[in-house]
Amino acid sequence: MRLGLVIDLDTCVGCHACATACKEWNASSPVSGPLSDYEPFGAGTLGRLVQSACGITRLGEYPASKTINFPMSCMHCADADCVTVCPTGASYKRDDGIVLVDQDKCMGCNLCAWACPYGARELDTATGTMKKCTLCVDRINDELLPPEERQPACVLACPTHARFFGDFDDPASEVSRLTAERGGFGLMPELGYAPVNQYLPPRELKPVIGADDVKALLERGLASLASPVIRR
Amino acid sequence: MRGCGRSSRENYLYMNRGTAARLGLGDFDWVWVESHHGRLRCQLKTMEGVEANTVWTWNAIGRAARNGRLDEDASEATAGFLLNHLISELLPKGRADDRRLTNSDPVTGQAAWFDLRVKVSKCAVGETGIWPKFPMSKRLPGDNRRRPSTWRYHTEAAS
Repeated sequence: MRLGLVIDLDTCVGCHACATACKEWNASSPVSGPLSDYEPFGAGTLGRLVQSACGITRLGEYPASKTINFPMSCMHCADADCVTVCPTGASYKRDDGIVLVDQDKCMGCNLCAWACPYGARELDTATGTMKKCTLCVDRINDELLPPEERQPACVLACPTHARFFGDFDDPASEVSRLTAERGGFGLMPELGYAPVNQYLPPRELKPVIGADDVKALLERGLASLASPVIRR
Repeated sequence: MRGCGRSSRENYLYMNRGTAARLGLGDFDWVWVESHHGRLRCQLKTMEGVEANTVWTWNAIGRAARNGRLDEDASEATAGFLLNHLISELLPKGRADDRRLTNSDPVTGQAAWFDLRVKVSKCAVGETGIWPKFPMSKRLPGDNRRRPSTWRYHTEAAS
């Protein structure tokens, strides 16, 4: 098994619902516990939304520019150096591919954060331990939940359905199918970590009204746009 | 002008990069933003992905200190700004006999943030810092709640 996420950069609108759902679920989760916010009411406020924090990339120049919202979380790499470098054995990779931190063994040395090229790990200074995406391991295996809810909180929360969860080793799974159909890619494969999470590229969009359309409109007259009811 | 909810420790006024260049403005310049209703001072950031004649920022930030449990030196009270100072409750009066209309979306009744005309100009040298500022609110009677420096949901009662 190789569990992971597919994230559709074409439909993500950067609303951060994934990040807040993540924070909410993990606040009461025994797997990692809450992600601390620092100085929430004072100077130097620093909220922790490491899991699924959303970056924004802008390509091109106005008016042909395109904004791409880029949610990032643990890639659950097949070759995870964060696990290799852990001196206490707190970081481990499960048989289903999920990379986890055993909060009881972690001593907060930060080596895994340095080994991770994706910035997926964040030290929680309140507990002195490392926090990261758990792929909601306490949801996806919970048989008390209805089957359709056995998915990570971020996937369930996404209002544009830009996130998908599944097994990449199963060629018939939705995540495998989407990756194949839409040309999904992993981030920075040249580093050799074999990231499992895949991103679907944004589609090229034509301008809503191109130069040819404007010309045609001018030739036909603006009245041609009006609905038949109004024209009558 | 439009707003977009997001909590943070500061916010900027976002402007199209080409428009900013034509106005002689750049990243982190302090600017005055004026509407028919009032004016405020804030810091500018430029970006490509915004319409050339539109400026925007996050809302739900820039509350005054002591409001919403904020401390006296809260980041968003010192570095955040609120668009409310530019937006009136009623639309400006046109003709003398005009009925004053509420500044809200006619369909939903939501406050209308999106159609405000503003003028953006560069601040004079030395004019920096968020403006306007208001005297600090008094604490509500009986408010002796603790303001924790680390907030961990589900681990302590939100007293």
